[in-house]
Amino acid sequence: MRKDRESMATVTSAPVGIESSSSERTPRILLVGNPNVGKSVIFGYLTGKYVAVSNYPGTTVEVSRGTMRLGGKSYEVIDTPGVNSLVPQSEDERVTRDMLLSSRPDLLIQVADAKNLRRTLLITSQLVELGIPMVLVLNLMDEARNRNIEIDVAGLSAMFGVPVLPTVATEGEGLTQLNRAIGQAIGKAQPPLDPLAASRKRLFEAEPVVDLLRSGGSDLPLPLTLEWLQTRDSGLRGPIIERLGLEPSARESLETTQRGAVRSLSGRLDELRNSLLDEATARFKKVLPGLADEARDSRGLSAAYVMLAVGMAIFLYTEAASLLNQFIGPYLGWTFPTPYSLVNGWFDQTLIPLAQAWLGGRGLGAIGTILFGTLNAETGAWESGFLYPAVTQVTLLIAPVIIPLAIVLYRSRRFAEKLGRWSREWQTGAPFLLVVLLLMYEFVGVVGAGTLVDAFETTLFNQYLTPPLQRMIPPGFVYDFLVGDYGLVSVGLTYALAIVLPIVFTFFIAFGLLEDSGYLPRLAILSDRLFRVMGLNGKAVLPMVLGLGCDTMATMTTRILATKKERIIATLLLVLGVPCSAQLGVILGITSSISVGAVLTVFGVVVSQMFLVGYLSSKIIPGRRGDFIFEIPPIRVPIFRNVWTKTRLRIIWYLKEALPLFVLGTLILFVLDRFRIPVPWGPTPWARVSGLAAIEGALAPVVTGVLQLPAETARVLILGFLRRDYGAAGLFDLVRTGQMDVVQIVTSLIVLTLFIPCVANFFMMIREHGTRKALLMLAFITPFAIGVGGVVAWLLRALKVTF
Amino acid sequence: MHHRIADEIVEVLEAVWTSEEEGTVSEEGVADRAMTEVTPELLAECEQAGYIERPGGGEVRLTARGRQMAEEVIRRHRLAERLVVDVLGMTIEESEADACEFEHLLAPNVTEAICTLLGHPRFCPHQHPIPEGPCCQRAGDQVSAVVTSIDRLDIGVPAKVAYVSARNYRRIQMLSSLGILPGIPVRVHQRYPSFVIQCEETQIALEEEIARDIYVWRE
Repeated sequence: MRKDRESMATVTSAPVGIESSSSERTPRILLVGNPNVGKSVIFGYLTGKYVAVSNYPGTTVEVSRGTMRLGGKSYEVIDTPGVNSLVPQSEDERVTRDMLLSSRPDLLIQVADAKNLRRTLLITSQLVELGIPMVLVLNLMDEARNRNIEIDVAGLSAMFGVPVLPTVATEGEGLTQLNRAIGQAIGKAQPPLDPLAASRKRLFEAEPVVDLLRSGGSDLPLPLTLEWLQTRDSGLRGPIIERLGLEPSARESLETTQRGAVRSLSGRLDELRNSLLDEATARFKKVLPGLADEARDSRGLSAAYVMLAVGMAIFLYTEAASLLNQFIGPYLGWTFPTPYSLVNGWFDQTLIPLAQAWLGGRGLGAIGTILFGTLNAETGAWESGFLYPAVTQVTLLIAPVIIPLAIVLYRSRRFAEKLGRWSREWQTGAPFLLVVLLLMYEFVGVVGAGTLVDAFETTLFNQYLTPPLQRMIPPGFVYDFLVGDYGLVSVGLTYALAIVLPIVFTFFIAFGLLEDSGYLPRLAILSDRLFRVMGLNGKAVLPMVLGLGCDTMATMTTRILATKKERIIATLLLVLGVPCSAQLGVILGITSSISVGAVLTVFGVVVSQMFLVGYLSSKIIPGRRGDFIFEIPPIRVPIFRNVWTKTRLRIIWYLKEALPLFVLGTLILFVLDRFRIPVPWGPTPWARVSGLAAIEGALAPVVTGVLQLPAETARVLILGFLRRDYGAAGLFDLVRTGQMDVVQIVTSLIVLTLFIPCVANFFMMIREHGTRKALLMLAFITPFAIGVGGVVAWLLRALKVTF
Repeated sequence: MHHRIADEIVEVLEAVWTSEEEGTVSEEGVADRAMTEVTPELLAECEQAGYIERPGGGEVRLTARGRQMAEEVIRRHRLAERLVVDVLGMTIEESEADACEFEHLLAPNVTEAICTLLGHPRFCPHQHPIPEGPCCQRAGDQVSAVVTSIDRLDIGVPAKVAYVSARNYRRIQMLSSLGILPGIPVRVHQRYPSFVIQCEETQIALEEEIARDIYVWRE
C-alpha cells in the first residue's frame, strides 16, 4: 500500500455488534459489495491497514473495523462480508444485512466490479432503498477497459443520485477522488434517488398487507422488507418481523393469511427490479467493438508477430532435430544441424578459449572457468560455467519464443483472448501444452538440471570448494564427517546446493511464470476429466505440476483441494508417481542412454499405476469429490514482481525446510556407514558390518530375488528415502559404470519412482494428514512399488524383451 | 378435466398402461403395479365404465376411451416428474410421491404450460416415454425448451439464468459468489473437456454435473 495517503489509522477486528446511534459518535462508514471486488483493498486504503487481501472469493470472514482521518475529522470504517444481494439466502449472508440495519451508518460505500454491471446494480438498487447517503465505487476499471467496456458514469450517477467513482484500487487509480467524494457525501447527507419509487407506489396502492406492515411504525424500507419476509427460512425472517414492531394479531396474520400476499408482492417487486436492471445495464454499459482499439499499443506489433513465428519455427525445428539426432542419428551417421549447435560449436572452439586465454593472462583463470567452464580433456565434454552455455541456451532457444510472445500478448488484447481460448480447447490446447512442456524442459531440464548443476557441482564444488577443504583437513573423523564419502560438505551441501537448488530454482521460475500468466486454470480445464478418473478434479493439476518441482511443497499445496478425500488421494498420487525435478533430471539423464521403448515402458507403467491407484482409492476412501468450478482469469504477460516474490519465497522455504533434511539425511548415512553391528546375514554369520551394509544385506533377498537387480541397488533405495534424488543419482552411477542391463534399468527406474517418498515429504505427510494416515500410505506404497517392479521384471524376462 | 373420475380408477388405468409398455398385461400385473388396492369390484367398475376390456384368461386391455384417459394421466404424471426433478431439483425417488399427487390435480391448460416450459420433453426421469399432447404437436420440429439447463445449451446461444437447482448448499454458495444469479446473462463458450461459460464479463469453468444444475431462459 502507498504511504502518501491522507488517512492513517488503527484497526481492530471485532465481531458484529449491534450499536445504537448517538449524535455525538464518530461518523460511521460501511463498505458493502459483491465478493472479490476489492473491498478489502479499499478498506486498507481508507484505514491504512492491510487486511490479508486474497484473490479468492469469500475471504473477509470476520468484520474488520478501522478508523480513517479526513480533513481533520475521524471516521469509523467497517468492512462487511461480500454479498450478491441484500436479501440473504442463508445464515452467513445475514451478517451484511443485519449490520446495515443495526449499525446506523452515516455513509455507505458500495465497492463494485465495473465489468459486471448488472450484478453491481442489483445491490445498488437495494442500497438506495435504505435512504442512507452513498458512494458507488466502480473498481477493477482496468479489467473493464481491457474488455472494451465503457461505462456511462455520469448517467449512472444521475439515475441513482450518488457519486460514482471509477477506480483501480490495487494501483491507487481514482482513490484521491474517493477521499474527496467521501468528505462531500458525508457533509451533505443527501439521500440517493430510488428509481423504482414511483412504480412501487402504484403497486402498493390498495394492498392490505402494506398497511399491515406499516402499522408497527418501523423505519424499515418497505420493498426490502417484503423481500426479506418472502424467504422460506424462518430464522432469516424472524429478526425482520421483530423489528417491524407489530401487534401480536398483525404478526400472526403476517405469518399465516398474508404469506401469499407477501410472496406475490415481492415477486412483482422482483420483476420491477429485473426490468430496471436490464434497462440500466443496456443504457450505461457499452461494449465497444473490438477492432476500434484492438491493440493496446500497435507499434511494432506485426514485427513481433513475425519474430514470434520465426522463434517458434527455430524452436520446433531444434526440438525435432535433436530428437531425430538422438534416436536415428546413430543409424544415419549424420546429424541435423541446429542454430544452437552451430553457434555453441563456434563458441566452444573460438570465442570461449579466447576469452579464457585473455583472463588467464591476467591471473583470472579461475574466474574464467567458473564463468565459462572448461573443456574436460579426458571426456571431451564441456564442463559448464555459470554463464556459458546457460546464457546461449536461453538466448538462442527460449528467448526467441518467449520475448515476442510477451510483446504480442501485451500489445494485443485480441491475441491474449485468442491464446486464452486456444489453450483451453482440447484440439489446440494439446499442442499448446506440448510446446509449454518443451519450453519448460529446455529451461528446467537443460539449463537448470544440465548446465547449472554442472556449473555448481562439477566446476564450483568439485574443483574449487571440496578439494581445498580435503587438502586442509587431516585424515580422521573430522575429515570423514565433512568431506568423506558421506561428508556434510562433500555430499550433503553438494547435493542440496549444487544439484537440487539450481533445478528447483529454475523450476520455480518456470512455475511462477505459468502461474502468473493464467495458464494453469486452463490446464485444469483440459485435464479435469483425467483427474476425475482418479477421484480428483482439474484443480488437482496445481499440486501435481508443482510436484514435478518438489513433492514436499506440492503435498503442502494439496490444501487448495476442497475435500479431505481429494487431499488424501492427491498426496498419495504425488508420493507414488510424481517424480520431483531433481529426480526427473537424473531419470532423464539415465533414459538418454536407453531406447525409446524402454523410456515409454517406464513412463507407461508409472502413469498407469497412478491411474489405477487413484481409481481404486477413489472407490475405497470415503467422502466426496469437490466441485470443479472456478473463475478463469485472463491470460496476461506475467508480472515480474509477482513471479520474483513467489520464486523467492519458495526458495527460502526450500532452504529452510529441505536443506536441514539434506544435512540430517547425510548425517544418518554417515552414522550408518561408520558404526558396525553384527548381523546374521554378514559375510560370515554375526560378522560386524557397517549399518549400511546391514540394511543392504537385509534387503538383498527382495532386491536380487523379487526385482532381479544387483545387490548394490538396495543402497539406492535407502538413499532414495533420504532424498529421492539421492537415490536417483546413485542409480545413475550404477548405470554409468555398466552394472545393469536394460531390463534392470527399467525395473529400478520404476521402483525408484513409485517408491516411498523422501524423509521431508514423509514429515510433510504427517503434518498434513496425521501420523496414522502417513504411515498407512507408507505401508501401502512400499510393497506396492516393489510388487509392480517385480511383476515388470518378471514379465520383461519372461517375454524376453530386450528393447 | 371434464369430469372427475375416481382416483382409484385412474390408478388402475395407469397400471394397465405401464404394464402394456413392458409387454404383458395380466390382472396380477396390474394389481402389483397399481398404487391402490385392486379389488375385483374395482376392475369390474372400470370395465363397466368402458375403460377396460377383459377378454378372459386374466388378460386386461384398454378400450379406446380408456386409452385416451390413461394417456392423459401418464402424461401428467411424467411431466410432473420432470418438473419436480428439473425445476425443483429433487431426486427421482423423491419426485414419485409429488408426481402422484400432481397427476390428479393438473388442469389441461396447466399441463400444457408445464410441457412448454420444459421444452416438450419426450422422456420422464425414469426414461419412460411421455405421451405427446396437443402442445407438442403444435410445436412440431422446432421444439426448443424455453427453460433448459446449461449443459443442453448450444455454444454461443444467449441466455439468462432462470434458477439454480443445486441441492448442495456449498455449490449454491459457490455459484452465486461467481455471479451465477437469476437474471444474469450467460452463454456457453466451450462444452468439452469442461464447460466454459461467460457470465456477464466473467469466464467460469465448470464440470458437466454443475452445468446441469443451472437453468436458463433462452433468449
